[in-house]
Amino acid sequence: MKKENRLKNRMQKRENRLGYMFVMPWIIGLFLFTLIPMIFSAVLSMCKWNIVTGLSTIKFVNFDNYITLFHDENFYQSLKVTFTFALITIPLYQIVSLLVAFMLTFDIKWMKTFRLIYFLPSIIPTIATSLIWQRIFTLDGILNRALHLFGINGPSWLTNRYTALYSLMIMGLWGIGNTVIIYLSGLQTVNEELKEAARMDGAKGYQIFYYITVPMISPTIFFNVVMAVIGSFQYFTQAYVLTAGGPMKSTLFYNLYLYQVAYKDFRMGYAAAMAWIMFIIIMIFTLLVIKSSSLWVYYQNDDK
Amino acid sequence: MKNKLSSKKRNAKIISIICTLILSAGGIIIMIPLLWTICMALKPDGELYTNNFFPRHFAWNNFYLAVTSIDFFRYLGNTIMIVIPNLIGIIISSSFVAYGFSRFRFKGKRTWFLILLATMMLPGQVTMIPTYIIFRYMGWVNTILPLTVGAFFGGGAFNIFLIRQFMSGIPMDYDEAAKIDGASSLRIYARLIMPMCKPVLTAVGIFTFMGTWNDFNGPLIYLYDSNKYTLAIGLAFFKGLYTSRWNLMMAATILVMMPILILFFIAQDYIVNGISISAGTKG
Repeated sequence: MKKENRLKNRMQKRENRLGYMFVMPWIIGLFLFTLIPMIFSAVLSMCKWNIVTGLSTIKFVNFDNYITLFHDENFYQSLKVTFTFALITIPLYQIVSLLVAFMLTFDIKWMKTFRLIYFLPSIIPTIATSLIWQRIFTLDGILNRALHLFGINGPSWLTNRYTALYSLMIMGLWGIGNTVIIYLSGLQTVNEELKEAARMDGAKGYQIFYYITVPMISPTIFFNVVMAVIGSFQYFTQAYVLTAGGPMKSTLFYNLYLYQVAYKDFRMGYAAAMAWIMFIIIMIFTLLVIKSSSLWVYYQNDDK
Repeated sequence: MKNKLSSKKRNAKIISIICTLILSAGGIIIMIPLLWTICMALKPDGELYTNNFFPRHFAWNNFYLAVTSIDFFRYLGNTIMIVIPNLIGIIISSSFVAYGFSRFRFKGKRTWFLILLATMMLPGQVTMIPTYIIFRYMGWVNTILPLTVGAFFGGGAFNIFLIRQFMSGIPMDYDEAAKIDGASSLRIYARLIMPMCKPVLTAVGIFTFMGTWNDFNGPLIYLYDSNKYTLAIGLAFFKGLYTSRWNLMMAATILVMMPILILFFIAQDYIVNGISISAGTKG
């Protein structure tokens, strides 16, 4: 008995040693690139510091940065832009993606080609996408020429403060292929028998879609919505390249403003505070989605 | 009964026709920007402000001009110098850690794994600024080190997670058999498990390549010397320099996305599967 225990003990020690040996690179990385920077960031967010003037000018200011933030017009503007973008694009992209994915499940000709075409734009480098669409949105660009056929005189989309943000939304619609693919694989897991049974009971196509397909893939919808919330707050490259936040701050996304504070003004403390606020907002929204998920997300395993 | 069946069949046919029409219309709209890009890239300077969609004369040497007027090959070299260490670092490091998580019952494993999952939710912005400051004081700014070193320390939570899931599907019997033959854990990892993980490692490699190639934020923050630029940054820089010669700009844009498109056509199944797994709807 004792001998057995000792053996077990030795085995466990061996498991510990080997296990930690293998995960050690990640643990070191976790401390170096995540935990220590996080602590540093929290401290920094309570300091006033311009990195250009050197370490000696660091000044502890308590919660001043956060208080200033709540009086910062640009901060509110960036929140407004980000939320407007999120509130419009999240439902829009999810519904369009889901419908496209749904159509792509039917057994029709050239299915593979269609899938390829719809997916293609989403793998193109963001910088390339941005430059392509910049040409599309100019006054004499292809969008306005197409509108001209219908007798509409379009604006210079990206330099007009009423259309710039919406232009970015249209551009984003081009790249939803990623989301389509996720929905497509979600749809392929939906139980055919269940749909067939409903059909036998006389349910119509749209009823099956609404009452069976959508609930069955609600975990996928859930995943996509969470990712989209995070994505809106991290939206950067397109706005940086195409509008630089303008015209008149109409596309000043949160992450873009954060970048400007940190790397144009070098106000590191203030930027750190902004990053934490962003983290908190993302956490709140993610939690809201998770909390609400019990109302609308259906997990098959719950049946047990 | 027969009647009902045939009407059902007809319905299915109508639906598939409608779907084909909608999908075709959408597909054409999606392809127009790409087609237009190619047309713009091939227009000679004189046709830039004409209204025709297709160029009348194909100016193939726009590609040559684009390559020479931005320092294309230098940027390409710089990009490759960042892509390669990332590929090596991430594939070795993340599979190494994944092996630890999938094969050993060490103390505190659950906690560490939960932390791993939690870090996937952490927005990069929170650690971006302090990391930048640290690298700056280490004198690493304007070198490729900030953009590559992280790859060797775990290679990213998501990659570890993906590979661990795959490894957990490989029966322990293989390990046991090798152990009886006297193989060490390191040997089992390198000689037995790694080769079996080829599909998932390929997927991770493809995503790493695409992510590093496309990365804009990292190089933007860390590289400010124009001869250290990557293609993504170089292209943005080019945009500011040549606002009027956008035929060249479009040519350069095409060249930058070419490797990604080629990779996509070769490995689309890996990419599609990888995305599906990431959403937890498969595997």
